[in-house]
Amino acid sequence: MTWETVIGLEVHVQLGTRTKMFCAQANAFGHDPNSLVDPYTLGLPGALPVPNEEAVRLGTRAALALGCTVHPVSIFARKHYFYPDLPKGYQISQFERPLATGGTVWIESPERGRIAIGVTRLHLEEDAGKSLHDRLDGRTAVDLNRAGVPLAEIVSEPDLRSPAEARAYLTVLRQLLVYAGASDCSMEKGTLRVDANISIRRPGAPTFGTKTEVKNLNSFANVERALEVERARQVALLEAGGTVAQVTLLFNAATGQVKELRSKEESHDYRYFPDPDLPPLVLDPAWIEEQRAALPEMPEARRERFATAYGLPAYHAGTLCLERPVADYFEAVVEAGAEPKAAADWVLETVLSGWNETGDFAVAPERLAHLIALVKDGTVSRQAAKQVYAGLGGTTEAPRAVAERLGLVQVSDTGALAAWVDEVLAAHPKEVERFRGGEAKLMGFFVGQVMKRSKGQADPKAVQPVLQAKLGG
Amino acid sequence: MSSIGPTEVRHVAALSALEVPEADLPQLVAQLQRIVAMVEQLNEVPSAGDVPPFVAGPAAAALRDDRIAPEPLAHPLGQTAPGFAEGFFAVPRHTAMEES
Amino acid sequence: MIPRDVARETGRRLAEADAKGLNATLHWSQALLDREAERLETLQANLPLYGLPVAVKDNIVTAEQPTTCASRILEGYVSPYTATAVARLRDAGAMVACKANLDEFAMGSSTENSAFGRVQHPLDPARVPGGSSGGSAALVAAGVVPAALGSETGGSVRQPAAFCGIVGVKPTYGRVSRYGLVAFGSSLDCISVFGRTVADAAKVLGVMSGHDPLDATSARRPALPLTPTHRSDLAGLRIGLPREYFPADLDAGIRAGLDRTIAVVKALGAEVVEVSLPHTKYAVPTYYIIAPAEAASNLARYDGVRYGLRRMSHADDVQGMYRQTRGEGFGPEVRRRILVGTYVLSAGYYDAYYGKAQQVRALLARDFDRAFAGGVDLLLTPTTPTPAFKAGDKVSDPVAMYYSDIFVCGISLAGLPALSLPVGRSEGLPVGAQLIAPAFEEDRMLSVAQVLERTLDGAAEVR
Ligand SMILES: [Mg+2]
Ligand SMILES: [Zn+2]
Repeated sequence: MTWETVIGLEVHVQLGTRTKMFCAQANAFGHDPNSLVDPYTLGLPGALPVPNEEAVRLGTRAALALGCTVHPVSIFARKHYFYPDLPKGYQISQFERPLATGGTVWIESPERGRIAIGVTRLHLEEDAGKSLHDRLDGRTAVDLNRAGVPLAEIVSEPDLRSPAEARAYLTVLRQLLVYAGASDCSMEKGTLRVDANISIRRPGAPTFGTKTEVKNLNSFANVERALEVERARQVALLEAGGTVAQVTLLFNAATGQVKELRSKEESHDYRYFPDPDLPPLVLDPAWIEEQRAALPEMPEARRERFATAYGLPAYHAGTLCLERPVADYFEAVVEAGAEPKAAADWVLETVLSGWNETGDFAVAPERLAHLIALVKDGTVSRQAAKQVYAGLGGTTEAPRAVAERLGLVQVSDTGALAAWVDEVLAAHPKEVERFRGGEAKLMGFFVGQVMKRSKGQADPKAVQPVLQAKLGG
Repeated sequence: MSSIGPTEVRHVAALSALEVPEADLPQLVAQLQRIVAMVEQLNEVPSAGDVPPFVAGPAAAALRDDRIAPEPLAHPLGQTAPGFAEGFFAVPRHTAMEES
Repeated sequence: MIPRDVARETGRRLAEADAKGLNATLHWSQALLDREAERLETLQANLPLYGLPVAVKDNIVTAEQPTTCASRILEGYVSPYTATAVARLRDAGAMVACKANLDEFAMGSSTENSAFGRVQHPLDPARVPGGSSGGSAALVAAGVVPAALGSETGGSVRQPAAFCGIVGVKPTYGRVSRYGLVAFGSSLDCISVFGRTVADAAKVLGVMSGHDPLDATSARRPALPLTPTHRSDLAGLRIGLPREYFPADLDAGIRAGLDRTIAVVKALGAEVVEVSLPHTKYAVPTYYIIAPAEAASNLARYDGVRYGLRRMSHADDVQGMYRQTRGEGFGPEVRRRILVGTYVLSAGYYDAYYGKAQQVRALLARDFDRAFAGGVDLLLTPTTPTPAFKAGDKVSDPVAMYYSDIFVCGISLAGLPALSLPVGRSEGLPVGAQLIAPAFEEDRMLSVAQVLERTLDGAAEVR
């Protein structure tokens, strides 16, 4: 007998605002502990929340990018629990009336092909601070810099049927949110966090099995791994005649195990009620439409346009569009005058690895376009251009100047080439003899020697005619 | 409608993170029963489906510009914190959530 | 008087009140008063409140002295910022005279719930001054300061004003910023004001009022005028008497005070009509669901982590620290309200209690809307069902204590402005009459109160 897996994901993304959700303190990462605090962040007596317009705008864009209906009226609600990094004893969130509901994300399932995953809701809330358990001896250290950072919580329908689908959903979700400019969605920085609900049942069963929640997932790959581990655990339990308990589990990436979190029963009664400090969030339907109109081209549409307008192979177009900054970079290179195919090759072969490593582009698109032009007009060779590219990072020098400084400008001047050719022929009398005796394939050898002697500066296309003439071929 | 007894009081005390000594419980239960009975008079009021919910204050939240301008703090955090070390608020361990 | 002399004289009166055992102050010092006077010397002498000493209820935060809310859990706590209302008063030339005693976290109607001892009634030490702003009321009534800030969640300024024989004004919800008012029931809380005269109260209220971007519930309206519109009589006004506020068992002295007031209102040319606010009897039960629910939530932040008390002698983890800190840091009434508030919001009970109370709150507000829409300009009622009661009378019976707010808390639930005006004394104890206005019609209410104040001797015996 087989089992059907049912997975739903709750994704939290930090919205890319300058300030926090409900106060004018900075939303930033990597500062001294408790330096980004103020009366509201600290939950001081008498402090009050005031919602950030930009957080509302980014949440709205995120919701629209996921095909959700954004509601003209939504309500902030308090969610209560006691935890040291939750300064007020409650988190301001949205409960009965979230910002948006009813979206769809299309994914490519490895098992089922192209399928639609429902987005139940997207709501706005504030982040908690951080509790560090290994920082102080025997005590927990609390840093509230992150407390109050704006979050969008995105809850999927239990539409996913395998760990691989969960991963595919997350990949598309991230792509859409980054395209919408809502968040940078980095699991490493913690600006995207995933909690997964998983249960199993017999195929065709009318109801869901008991679900467990898996937390502490720090990469998409680990989401998939953890869900596989948990699915196997549930299958083993049920096949041994046992039952699944509704628990929260932590995934340990090092051991590949899930571990049950001890927690008290009452911690699940959050006592939500509308936050009396915050009037309803009222959005003008015309403003919502403006936000929709202002959304950038979404990845699917962009992929198709890249393929048709630039004549790129579908696979290349797809790779370029995976991440919006990369696609934007590519288009900027084209706009700066580069031929699209050459620009695509450069981005895919050279630029992308740097971006993947650093999350940044070492060379401005205009400068890359300039370099591509130098290759096209023969000023630098294809090989030398890679060295020029490496030399462009960290300078503002023009690509041509860098090529010259590195001695990588191709020499096609016959006089200069003739001198190197003469030296090479003089150094290899035996090969000259053999060539003249009919070994025409030695031409490659001579060209190589000239390139070597010129330290790569000689234009190989120009070297050959000079050699031909000197060898009297 | 409902009765509030020692079990319920212990439960809401746990939810509220309030230590209630067992010795105080009987009197507390009696007082809360009185209060709950008093507020349950509202059951006499017929359901008011047609009345829009009351919102204290403005009907819509005014939003804030996304500009960094934190309200200043007149004295350092360590001055008012009952446990503070190396720039952190220091608290005893949480026994249920050590892993997270 | 120059500020330095005001500071000296205020200090002298505060010391005298403390010596008499009024117990109305929680923090003050001559040094701080002198510093306030020095600050004033750098300001323009024509500022509206220049040189006015004001007592501030100790649930309104100030960076210069502690703010304790009369609670052990905040003992010694000094706020790193100052409330908007206090900042506006100081900018207008007022000096903070002292922080005034109150019922812990403003929960109470007698100021017997202070962790730092009860406040005495200035006219009879065996009685209570009302509450929760009893310290502020007592200081004004005792002539220590001409004006004081209190806060209202369900009548905590009007009720003690009536008990103490002074003016107490609650503005429309949202008229004065709540930024820096320690939250109790956020949808009800209003910084409010006591004055010996309507003019003093109106001036302080005018300075504090006006939109504050730090409070999302603050009204986007211009500030109130510093002086109420002048009236010579009440001609052309219709004053409504809600019949539910004049029950058969109303205290005879209170009834006499109101009869006298009604007679004056008529003599001044107003038309007096009876109206009905049919849901009045549900005001107290509604209030005792909504206010505790919000309080339980608002008081969750007192956890011993970032500020305030931390107790953990029998705790070995942070959860134990929360329980002990909160269990020992909050007094009995605060604990009761947290438990009730948690109960009415907890799983399975929300709809029956909190949801129901929200509906009835809407009905209570609609009662007032209908009365005003029916052509009544203001409502006139007694402020309290009895004059000031004896200390200890209601301590063991929380519900009896709650019902002392029966005529004030419905107005708070509806978010309306109202004031209490002294209209005479019954066997030596003050009687207060309450004027209730439509939302944002404070000026109408204050200008009528001023006419009555001129015409009635508020200290005259009425029986
Ligand atoms: Mg009160
Ligand atoms: Zn969330």
